[in-house]
Amino acid sequence: MNRSTLYRFLVILMLFAVPLLIAAAKVGDSAPEFTTTASNGKTIRLSDYRGKFVVLEWHNNGCPYVGKHYNSGNMQRLQKQWTSKGVVWLTVLSSAPGKQGYLTAGEENDYLTKEHAAPTAALLDPTGEIGHLYNVKTSPQMVVVNPQGTVIYSGAIDDKPTTDLQDVQGATNYVSLALEQAMAGEPVQTPATRPYGCSVKYKD
Amino acid sequence: MRLCHPRPDICRAAALAAAALLSCAVGSRAAGTPIPHGTLELVSENQWIAPGHTIHLGLHFQLEKGWHIYWVNPGDSGEPPRVTWQLPAGVRADEIEWPTPRRLGTSSIVDFGYEDDVMLLVPLRAGVGAAALGAGDGSVQLRGEVKVLVCREMCIPGKAQLSLTLPVKSQAPEPDAQTNGLFAAARKAMPRPAPATWRISVADARDSFSLTAKLGKHIAQASFFPLEESQIKNAAPQQFTAVPGGFRLTLQKSDQLLKPIVRLKGVLVLAGDQGYIMDVPVNHTVAARRDDGGALDFVAASPAKRDWPPLQ
Repeated sequence: MNRSTLYRFLVILMLFAVPLLIAAAKVGDSAPEFTTTASNGKTIRLSDYRGKFVVLEWHNNGCPYVGKHYNSGNMQRLQKQWTSKGVVWLTVLSSAPGKQGYLTAGEENDYLTKEHAAPTAALLDPTGEIGHLYNVKTSPQMVVVNPQGTVIYSGAIDDKPTTDLQDVQGATNYVSLALEQAMAGEPVQTPATRPYGCSVKYKD
Repeated sequence: MRLCHPRPDICRAAALAAAALLSCAVGSRAAGTPIPHGTLELVSENQWIAPGHTIHLGLHFQLEKGWHIYWVNPGDSGEPPRVTWQLPAGVRADEIEWPTPRRLGTSSIVDFGYEDDVMLLVPLRAGVGAAALGAGDGSVQLRGEVKVLVCREMCIPGKAQLSLTLPVKSQAPEPDAQTNGLFAAARKAMPRPAPATWRISVADARDSFSLTAKLGKHIAQASFFPLEESQIKNAAPQQFTAVPGGFRLTLQKSDQLLKPIVRLKGVLVLAGDQGYIMDVPVNHTVAARRDDGGALDFVAASPAKRDWPPLQ
């Protein structure tokens, strides 16, 4: 292969590679694989959890919509409720360094302790790679992956897109609904909703 | 016009002390209430309300540079301002009329909203039975609680208690010279009904909607703001193609759109920032109709008033 052929080959490869990189997963797609470090120091691979339901929770501790669910205890309650049923719950931090919601591993561990949060692990994603893979727009956007590795829900945590604590009660929780229906072998009735909240503070 | 209410004597005295003026509602214009990184003021276009007449109130937001609030469809994040009115019996506030929004953000997350200075309009109708309203001192107090999310890089929720006192009279409400300028600017910023001669059609093209507008003139650029959430990908570029007498826009469908939609509603913004209200049926059978000569492809944009805006 001479140099110009190689060059042409590389250009063509890039033309194909770019759309592949930006094609993000949506409901019905197979959940894109990722490997990252959790705040507890462990390496987390999505495929390690094949055979289990996985919930991905996008987090930003400064976002008032996230605050609604932590200050009311709703998020912690959901984490405990579903992990006790064998669901893997991964909190994902996609804020870039210097932006709202960015935390170091130590800071995130302190946060989890302070909030009595109980995810399986909190994933540090300062490059935003996992967030972009799942086309995540907001915190707290939620994604549910079934044991076969298919995305079965992506969107809002519930049907009350506000920052008011009192709106947690009486809201229809889409994550719980998706898990309940999928565990009962039923199709998920509401598999995609507008993910309300703060925009994810991705790297510029 | 009255300067102050309900205690004009106190207000007159306070007028001597400039600072005290801030707490007094002055006619159809109350003082701005602080919200995060800005102020919000409740204003009236008219000097008084009258039974059987509709007037317009304005929610006038003034924001610090770089901060924004949201349109009725906020786009990828955020939420629109919401008002809970406390009005005397017989007086009813209608849904907010929203000015043409702007696209905020250029990355993978795009929102729709307003920066700097913006006024939302609220029609306020006094029923015929409202005559008894002014029985006491001849005026009514209009109160509303506004919840608003103000964002820049980060978002701060705010709340404002607004109040405005207006006289009740039997004759038709006269405009207020003090607020005329504000309302003229607000009306200019509102999207207009699309002219009856325009032919706008929308075809469902699998992963996108193809919006074709025949306006009978050359158009250099256009963009579409969807009234409803989760129909198009807000951050995706809207591909513009000039066609004879108009243009075509290709709008990528949202990942959250899992069922076919019947109508596409929104605001079409042409060069010069003028917005036009658009509400057209979505054609799901383009190929079949083309065989028929395509006569049904084009449907007049005819926004029925009751359909706009359907969202609170």
